[in-house]
Amino acid sequence: MRQWFRIAFPRNYLDRRKRAGFLFVLPALLFFGSVFLLPLAQSILYSFYKIAPGGAKEFVGVRLYEKVLTDSTFWTAVGNTVQLLLFSVPVTVVLALAVALGLNRVSNLKWRNVWASMYFLPFATSLVAAALIWQWIYEPVYGFLNYALSFVGIPPQKWLQSLSQVLPSLAVVSVWVRIGFDTMIFLAALQSIPEEYYEAANMDGASGMQRVRYITLPLLNAQIVMVCILELIFNFKIFDQVYVTTQGGPAGASQTIIGLLYDTAFKFFRFGDASVMAVFVFVTLMLVTLLQWRLFRKPVEY
Amino acid sequence: MSSIATSIESASRERIALRQVHVRWLIMLVVACGAIVVFFPFFWMAVTSLKTAPEIQRVPLQIVPDHWFNLSNYVEVFKREAFLRYLLNSTIVASIAAVSSVVVSSLAGFGFAKYRFPGRDVFFLAIVGILMVPFQSVVVPLYVWMNELGLLDTYAGIVAPDLVSVFGVFLMRQAIEMIPNDYIDAARIDGASELRIFFLVILPSVKPAIATLLIIKFLWSWNEFFWPMVVISSPQMKVVTMGLMSFTNMYFIEYNLLTAAAVISILPILLIFITLQRWVVQAVVMSGLKG
Repeated sequence: MRQWFRIAFPRNYLDRRKRAGFLFVLPALLFFGSVFLLPLAQSILYSFYKIAPGGAKEFVGVRLYEKVLTDSTFWTAVGNTVQLLLFSVPVTVVLALAVALGLNRVSNLKWRNVWASMYFLPFATSLVAAALIWQWIYEPVYGFLNYALSFVGIPPQKWLQSLSQVLPSLAVVSVWVRIGFDTMIFLAALQSIPEEYYEAANMDGASGMQRVRYITLPLLNAQIVMVCILELIFNFKIFDQVYVTTQGGPAGASQTIIGLLYDTAFKFFRFGDASVMAVFVFVTLMLVTLLQWRLFRKPVEY
Repeated sequence: MSSIATSIESASRERIALRQVHVRWLIMLVVACGAIVVFFPFFWMAVTSLKTAPEIQRVPLQIVPDHWFNLSNYVEVFKREAFLRYLLNSTIVASIAAVSSVVVSSLAGFGFAKYRFPGRDVFFLAIVGILMVPFQSVVVPLYVWMNELGLLDTYAGIVAPDLVSVFGVFLMRQAIEMIPNDYIDAARIDGASELRIFFLVILPSVKPAIATLLIIKFLWSWNEFFWPMVVISSPQMKVVTMGLMSFTNMYFIEYNLLTAAAVISILPILLIFITLQRWVVQAVVMSGLKG
């Protein structure tokens, strides 16, 4: 308290310097406080109130939690989101790792940059544009995918319009968008592994596969964990791709948790229900992040 | 005796070397094929945007357009929708977000990196902790407040939650920490005020980080969709990502127009991205944040 008083009313040069430091960070603190912390508290508060579209509030305790958490629509949306995750996260991470290992072996720097850029391009694209391009590729009658598959004798599929194929099809879009990002992280990590390790392994007669298995992968452990968590969070919040293509259809087969939150809040204006979902999303992702911090504690030794 | 041994050894070494060359070519081939597959949707978007409506409905499908310079879809996009306005809106919003992000983040980064004041570490941890709060969890109260402040459907409303990002503060703190304290002390001895030090010593020394943050923030802001969907209701305030949506509906989509609009929306960002890719990659590698 006394320290703060001295910063507010500086008596000497050092106090003034401390005050300058505090003033430098103040705008950022105010911003994050008012755009994240206060609204988060407000969200939690809202989740205990029934809010009429006019704005009239009525305290209802945990009634909204009971209502939302026993609603099958909610759990279907959670289930769809988790299914999407289970399709796209492992595929993205494994493919990105493979691509990074491959790129790292391309010794011609110019070509390596060209290939790397091509993998990285979708990252710059908005999810909206990406999803719409893919929707055109998936088009059942005139789309490219069915055309290409017809050459190997596979009959036309309905992709985004099919109950069973819509989630994997959407997952492919996420993989396409995210693969470059993960590849870049892996590639940077690969390039920081000292060359001597591989030379030593060569001396011992290790094969290419053995070098990957016993040197590269263990040293990439931290990045693999980090990328998995980032992908988990990214895919848990999936919204744009679904909203612009299927809007949760067909028949709710691709409704995701954020999609449901959006509809509840901004189509039906049930802010209380939406706040329960917001709290659910926050708590889930917080648990994931805390898990990440625990896993990160394990230091990687080079 | 020894000469035979060496010749056998060199022969097997050559074989291994040859195999390694083969493996290298194989890897190169796989990497290249993968890159082409990843690039294909862009190609497909571009050629579709050059085709007419009857052309894209041909069976069997035809890969290349009849006329490579058929730009009628692009003309139609601008005619049917206020797409120029959308581009302008996105540019305004993304520029404000990028610039304000640089200003606030570098101030905060300077404060966190080079000053000691009570609560500094707690504040920094709190800001990093913000990463745990998904934007979707705070969107309802933000909407209510924007409504009360009368900021719905305005530039200020779109850009408000986008003005600073945790990533920026993190990046700038990291960069400013690298500046030797001697420089700052030297400026102090010369009688410079703290703010003067910020402008004349700190900012010029972290130009690469500023460039990185400008680009990545512009990119993120340009591609934003969720929040604009929430705050914007009138057609003339739409941003580009929402403009794309105008060309789709549940029943009938004119893909030749849609792909042309998609090209228009992606092209500016792609050009920035390709020319300044080095900075973007650096940003991604720096921390892979923005959860």
